[in-house]
Amino acid sequence: MYPDRKTIRRRRAIFGALVLTSLALLTVWFGEPAGGALHTLQRGAQEVFSPIQTGASRALKPFRDTISWTGDTLSAKGENDRLRGELGQLRQELAATQTARRDVEQLQGFVDIAREDRFPQGTAPVTARVIARSPTVWWSSVQINRGSGDGIAVDQPVITGDGLAGKVTSVTGSTATITLIADERSSVSAQVMPAGADGIVRPEVGNPDDMLLDFVEKGSRIKTGQTVVTSGFSSSRGLESLFPRGVPVGRVKKIDRSELDIYQTVHIEPFAELKRMDFVQVLTAPRAGPGARAEVPNQ
Amino acid sequence: MTLSRSAALRVGLIVLVAVLVQVSVVAQVPIFGGRANLIPVAVAALALFGGSLTGAAAGFVAGLALDLSMGMSLGGSSLVLTFVGYLIGRFAELRDVSHGLLPIAVAAAGTLGYDVAYGAITFMLDIEATVSVLVLRDMLVGVLLNALLALPLFALVRRIVRPLVADGRFEGRPRGRPREAGPIGLRGLEV
Repeated sequence: MYPDRKTIRRRRAIFGALVLTSLALLTVWFGEPAGGALHTLQRGAQEVFSPIQTGASRALKPFRDTISWTGDTLSAKGENDRLRGELGQLRQELAATQTARRDVEQLQGFVDIAREDRFPQGTAPVTARVIARSPTVWWSSVQINRGSGDGIAVDQPVITGDGLAGKVTSVTGSTATITLIADERSSVSAQVMPAGADGIVRPEVGNPDDMLLDFVEKGSRIKTGQTVVTSGFSSSRGLESLFPRGVPVGRVKKIDRSELDIYQTVHIEPFAELKRMDFVQVLTAPRAGPGARAEVPNQ
Repeated sequence: MTLSRSAALRVGLIVLVAVLVQVSVVAQVPIFGGRANLIPVAVAALALFGGSLTGAAAGFVAGLALDLSMGMSLGGSSLVLTFVGYLIGRFAELRDVSHGLLPIAVAAAGTLGYDVAYGAITFMLDIEATVSVLVLRDMLVGVLLNALLALPLFALVRRIVRPLVADGRFEGRPRGRPREAGPIGLRGLEV
């Protein structure tokens, strides 16, 4: 039976209203400041959602681990003999044991990274569990189960046990949203050690395993395998990086030196496993440590 | 298509559970480098069984819930998912949707449409960085995973909403009346 005109008009009107509402939300959301009504509403919704997400995340963790285990097993089939041997061992272990080991490894990473010589001290790290991830393919943000009640605030740096992960962009009482360094809006001032060449780490969107260190002067001697850390600059004009000096970011993988460009582009492999992190640490006092920041002379 | 109040409640519940399970569980399990996405599959299923209005409304609610819970650009996901739900619903209203394997194609098309359109919106709004070709690989893997999940998920959604739909659309297209004719040799003859 073909619908009558009234039904068709009603259908089109509702569809149009939904589209217009979406466009209006998008326009207002981008136009308003971070403290605007829609942003506040969003934070309120996150506050409501967070206990449910935390509960669901914990309740379904065994299920998630089982799927993870299955996925790992399948993808490991194409690996070499050594990995196949390890896979055989992994098959015999219970999913719960694997999960516990993984958790311990990640938490141990935080202890190890804090002991590194260059790592900034006195940053008052707060450890948090990742409870939700953005479902898009852009690897842009995650949500954690700690919020302003734990001392977390917007713009604080976030690390994993391996290196820099991102920064806090939104906080509720009990949760926080982390924008990862793989997000298209991310940029981090960094330098290659030990050469000290400065640049800006930017993502190659969609590939969190490959990042670019841009604006590195051509004369700088950089070699594959060198470590990239945050430069944590501050100037007497009040301009300063959000990230403290010395947080490991990644390792130099490839260097592009085009004769036409003023700068060279350095490809780096980030230390942090952005695709598979379960725990992070928020540095709630990134500016606390004396001598933790490099000074940029006033020019 | 008309939905009773309890049916609308069930549709809303399906959408919210899909969003919750997606962000809390499925999005945290990479498989072959990609991740399944239950949200466009749930919207596609509701649109296929419920029609364009149900599809558009389900898409809008799902997108809004996703944007609110994940701090994403508010309105972006709801815009894309409203279109996905509406178009699949229109397809269901205009074509024969009784084939048993159709959910696979519908889920794949819905997921691909969502990924491509959301990517396009992201580009138009504020992206300023280099984009890796791995995005395409992740999209492809996501589409394939969703296609694999389509049959059980569509069956589950169908099972939940079927008893509540007023006009019996879930039975597929009504069959035409049987021909009023006798055996071939006797057609048209007064016997």
